Amino acid sequence: MSTSAGVIGAEKKNQAEVLRQLEKGRTRQILVNIALYAIALGFLFFSLFPILLIFLTSLKTDVQIFSETPVWIFKPTMQNYKDAFTGAWSQLPFLINSLIITIISTAIAVVFGAMAAYGLARYEFKGNRDLSFWILSTRMAPPIAFIVPMFVLIKAIGLLDTWWGLIIMYTGINLSFCVWILRGFFLDIPIELEESALVDGYTRWQVFTKIALPLVKPGLAAVAVFSSIFAWNEFLFALILTAQNSKTIPIGITGFSTAMGIRWGQFMAVGFVAILPVLIFTFLMQRYLVRGLTFGAVK
Amino acid sequence: MAQSVNKSRTTKRNTALALIVPTSIILAVINLYPFFYALNLSFHRWNMARPARGYEFVGLANYATAFSDPRFLNSVSRTIIFVVFAVSIEFLLGFGIAFVLNTNLKGMDLIRKIVIIPVMVMPIVASLIWFYMFNQRYGVINWALGLIGVPPQAWLTSKTLAMPSLIIADVWQWTPFMMLVILAGLRSLPEYVYEAAQIDGLSKWQTFRRVTVPLLTPTILIIVLLRIMDAFKLFDLVYTMTTGGPAGSTETLSYYIYIQAFQFFELGYAAALAILMLILIIIISQIFIRWLYKGEAATA
Repeated sequence: MSTSAGVIGAEKKNQAEVLRQLEKGRTRQILVNIALYAIALGFLFFSLFPILLIFLTSLKTDVQIFSETPVWIFKPTMQNYKDAFTGAWSQLPFLINSLIITIISTAIAVVFGAMAAYGLARYEFKGNRDLSFWILSTRMAPPIAFIVPMFVLIKAIGLLDTWWGLIIMYTGINLSFCVWILRGFFLDIPIELEESALVDGYTRWQVFTKIALPLVKPGLAAVAVFSSIFAWNEFLFALILTAQNSKTIPIGITGFSTAMGIRWGQFMAVGFVAILPVLIFTFLMQRYLVRGLTFGAVK
Repeated sequence: MAQSVNKSRTTKRNTALALIVPTSIILAVINLYPFFYALNLSFHRWNMARPARGYEFVGLANYATAFSDPRFLNSVSRTIIFVVFAVSIEFLLGFGIAFVLNTNLKGMDLIRKIVIIPVMVMPIVASLIWFYMFNQRYGVINWALGLIGVPPQAWLTSKTLAMPSLIIADVWQWTPFMMLVILAGLRSLPEYVYEAAQIDGLSKWQTFRRVTVPLLTPTILIIVLLRIMDAFKLFDLVYTMTTGGPAGSTETLSYYIYIQAFQFFELGYAAALAILMLILIIIISQIFIRWLYKGEAATA
């Protein structure tokens, strides 16, 4: 009797111990989760705060902007946007220049890039690998190394401070990117489809345009977005190759830094307008972000 | 029969040529031509502001000048300091955050999608917003430090703090890139490897050290290399935030070459510096590519 009661007692004790252990484990897990959330939210704050500050500051008056204790609650004003995009110092022409240069250079880069990518992906020839790597290396090279010769060349052919000077530059830089990424996309599609189309009497060109291209549509969209973002954001070449007529928005923005100080309100307004389309496209491209950012090295 | 095979071979070659040649021509114009032009220019003295002195062959004189030019040597060391600190911090932070966001907790996925934003922000806007935040008088950073009792700092005009300030701005923009790619790498690791590790009785730490890290190494090497090559080009942040100052403490290679070419108009000398920069980048990337192939050979 007494022994069995002892066993039951021991079992109960054991159960209580297990429960306590479980409880302890759960508390620990909760603490770990809180820590994980704290880190994630801290990083979220670090990443988002500057962007938020651009937006908030763009809606402030100068007095609020230069206040030594930051003003967090205020009546928003659209004055900075009005000042930045109207009148004699309007940034609107620069925005239009940026838009035109971005669209044309991206279109050319994607078309020729898709062609070359297909050629490199589907045709075996001597030096294929070397040619592919050379194309990649043209994107990796530091732009400053090419700026002097390109400045001399573009000046010589009379394209300094025109849309075409920058279009040539951005097409070239984005072309290598498009080729490299799209080559990966073409290599991913099964070759059998194209082979059977050839048997069906398609010409090689038709196989490319009617079979292969439609299959890499997501890839085309991805490289178009990435190329556009590059051209839209690019600073160094635009700084050297443009003056008044074909200035793009990144160069226009630096114009707010004057001898009288920086016109922060207008800068923030233009800055916000300049990054907004990029942010939207980035969200649309989530799936291909890694592939695009690593030149297809990581999928 | 033989003829038709021949014919098909010719059309095949012609199609390949038609596809590849336009791109090759454009890239030759935009890449090969400038390279050889710069190489040739680097052996000449040519000052655009003094055309009367003309275009004069000087052999290796520009290179000799470079190696005894304290400003050039300073810019090399400044660039290397920037690259080493910025890329290591970005990597370590990105690596850690990737593991945090890889947990299956609610909301982590949404956070991952949002924190990627800085990567795509126009660099010139990024540098100006940090310029604003670092302002000694009305910057939000000094204000926040003031709340915890730290006296205001002269971030961008201080010889010791200017470089760290640039690094902070770069870390802000590029840590999400590291995080994103490492996270993608983590998610692509096959499940069975972890099951095997569990069967073998490896602890969590052992699994991390002996399974996760080795499998991630190729991805890590690639993104670190990409970041190093990119950080080497640093120009925008310097141009807007510090213009190389104070006292040259943030003058990077790209910025110094820009000054030589477009403020002193010494195009020949600038070209020589650019060639030296290319050589430096090639050496660094070769080291990485060696590692990468060695790693691949070891795991294979």
